[in-house]
Amino acid sequence: MNFTIDDELRKRLAGIRELGRTQIRPLGLEADRAGKPVDPDHPFYALLLKLGLGRTRWLGGELDAEQDATRSRVGSPPSGGERGHKAGPSLTGVLLSEELAYWDRGVAVSFPGPGLGEPPVLSMGTPEQKERFLARFREPDRPRWGSFAMTEPGAGSDVAAIRTSCKRDGDHWILDGDKSFAANASRADWIVVWATADTSLGRAGHRAFVVERDTPGLGDFKIEKKMGLKAYESTSFTLRHCRVPASHLLGGEATYSNQDGSRGAKRAGFKGALQSFNATRPMIGAMAVGIGRAALDEAAAFAREHDLGSDPRVRDRLEHTRRKLRVARLLCWRAAWLADQQQPNIVEASMAKAHAPAAALDATLLGMELLGEVGARGDHLIEKLFRDVKAMDIVEGTGQIQHIVIARQLVGLPRE
Amino acid sequence: MIDFALDPELELLRETARSFAQHRLRPHDRDFETARGVDVATRDAFTEIGLAALEWPEALGGAGLGALARALVLEELGAADAGAALTLDPLGPAFYALAECGEAAALQAIAQPLLERPGSRAVLAWNGVARVALRNGRATGVLPWLPADRVDLLVLLDGDAVAVIDEGIALAPLRGAGLRAAGASELRLDGAPVRAWWVNPRGARRALARARLYAASLLLGVMRAAAGFSRDYALQRVAFGKPIAHHQALAFLITDMAMAVDGARLLVHEAAVRLDRGGDAEEACATAFLEAAEQAMFVTPNAVQILGGHGFMQDYPVEKWMREARALGLCFGGVDGAREDAGRGIVAAHAPLGLLEAQP
Repeated sequence: MNFTIDDELRKRLAGIRELGRTQIRPLGLEADRAGKPVDPDHPFYALLLKLGLGRTRWLGGELDAEQDATRSRVGSPPSGGERGHKAGPSLTGVLLSEELAYWDRGVAVSFPGPGLGEPPVLSMGTPEQKERFLARFREPDRPRWGSFAMTEPGAGSDVAAIRTSCKRDGDHWILDGDKSFAANASRADWIVVWATADTSLGRAGHRAFVVERDTPGLGDFKIEKKMGLKAYESTSFTLRHCRVPASHLLGGEATYSNQDGSRGAKRAGFKGALQSFNATRPMIGAMAVGIGRAALDEAAAFAREHDLGSDPRVRDRLEHTRRKLRVARLLCWRAAWLADQQQPNIVEASMAKAHAPAAALDATLLGMELLGEVGARGDHLIEKLFRDVKAMDIVEGTGQIQHIVIARQLVGLPRE
Repeated sequence: MIDFALDPELELLRETARSFAQHRLRPHDRDFETARGVDVATRDAFTEIGLAALEWPEALGGAGLGALARALVLEELGAADAGAALTLDPLGPAFYALAECGEAAALQAIAQPLLERPGSRAVLAWNGVARVALRNGRATGVLPWLPADRVDLLVLLDGDAVAVIDEGIALAPLRGAGLRAAGASELRLDGAPVRAWWVNPRGARRALARARLYAASLLLGVMRAAAGFSRDYALQRVAFGKPIAHHQALAFLITDMAMAVDGARLLVHEAAVRLDRGGDAEEACATAFLEAAEQAMFVTPNAVQILGGHGFMQDYPVEKWMREARALGLCFGGVDGAREDAGRGIVAAHAPLGLLEAQP
């Protein structure tokens, strides 16, 4: 058992800290004041590319098979030599996410790259699809974005309830429906869109398509006004008789076919979505920890400046906040570590996701309380964090959904 | 790098402790409670498998294991019978005060005999509020409760120093709120001779930290048992046409209880690893104790609640776990003492949770 971060990762974290201090936080505050997302042409994004960020983690070409083999080793124990020396991808993601969110979670989500669209392309896509959609993110010529659209006006955490339809028409599929709150969608090269071939089949009817930006019928992009996290765009859009080439169905028909009647095949489409959620839950938890930690630091600094350090009422609450954030961080680390070991982490990932946003919200609430009326002015960083953090308990399955997921595992809570 | 796997030796140790706890302690917990102690055969078995001298230095014939090993073992024992765990451990957390503040020779002279006399008890008492006055080599005062019916060696710990007393100890038996298997006494000293007195603020603080982690690990076991037992009960008990665990109000409560146990365990393990690496661990141990105590106070009363009327009856173990959680949380300065130590530096710290600062 070990709780230290290796030197290589510490260097990366130190790099983010510097970038965060000089660029990310100022940019986030600026976007918050302006009330709109950072412009896609902002030189900051070009700087990120120069720093080697904004890329895909897909290795591409001949390395692809190797990467696939690593991923498909589900359930097999890692060999002893591998363990303990280097952070796996989930743990790395969790650590970097926390530090990025500490500086500004909104700006972090606006980073160029395939974003949340990457996991489904990686886990479900054919080699040709990976090449077509991810290759451009290996050495991008300019900042590029991918996007992911599951949520609809009438379907949030209940992803099985999506209504966007897809119908086969020769070499194409016709998509019709409305999508909400997709990050970076209006600036994206492509969007992974989830649709249903047959609403009566529930999750079994789901299909995932990569819809490219210039596809006719994709439009009505509307950047939503949000309470916080203003630095990135949450965008709603419509698909009106949108013709998508059949080759853009992720994984191809076989991924969703039900010829053998097996449950696994029947649920593949939906499982694709669940997989991507499970991979990101500890990461969202870590982002919450980052936001909460920023609030804690600001609150402690305010207490220091105003000589509140000897007040046990203040100290106790700061201690409580730090303790809950520390628990949250360890829950995130554990869930991510399990994912890296290819061990099931449903309960652990949901625990991380259920606990961290609540702890982080408390941190911002305490910070506001210490500020007193200063917090009500609307120009303090803690006030922004207080608005930013609430989303963490909503995205990727609300805290309530996480409780249901855990309860299903712990006590077999029935689905109906 | 961050790694949640246990070394195979520790895994084996945990299994050994779990097997002992579930087979030798758990079935007899009410007998131990009535008898205010464990029987000789159980004590012999405990010593036999090496749990009595777990952290005792290898050079002196012990296993020489560290804080993580102790935490794992105590969780298992606590999950069966925390009172029995206390009475089975001849040195208990008193060992930490002796090891951190006394010289090796003193450790051997003072503590070794207890390991060789079955049934001996060294008891650590927190004397932070100076209930016992130490003057001219004599100790006078009253400790209102110790979980022991026998004290061969009293080790008094305060923020700066450790005092060792092995004569002139008067005990008056009490009923005890919890941990009755360990006994319960009021302890009086009336000019008792102080055998050894070491002033060592750093050592004293570290001893307190280790004692808190000891109590936190037992608390972890107590609440794990309570959470698991009440969950299993909720799956059996049917009300309004389905197992009560399937009513969402209870399903969510059970979920929160499981999260409370897991979160506290992570803090305990992190603090233990920190101790084993020799780093500053006082704040981490105080934090872990605080979390374990608070969460045990959430989990164990709710375990009683889930069992309803049955939970209130002594036919089921949950009421005992609730009492034990409360009693353990009062040890070594209690939660407020831990809160004080955990939060002392927080306002002065510039990045109290920084990823680059948080290295053990």
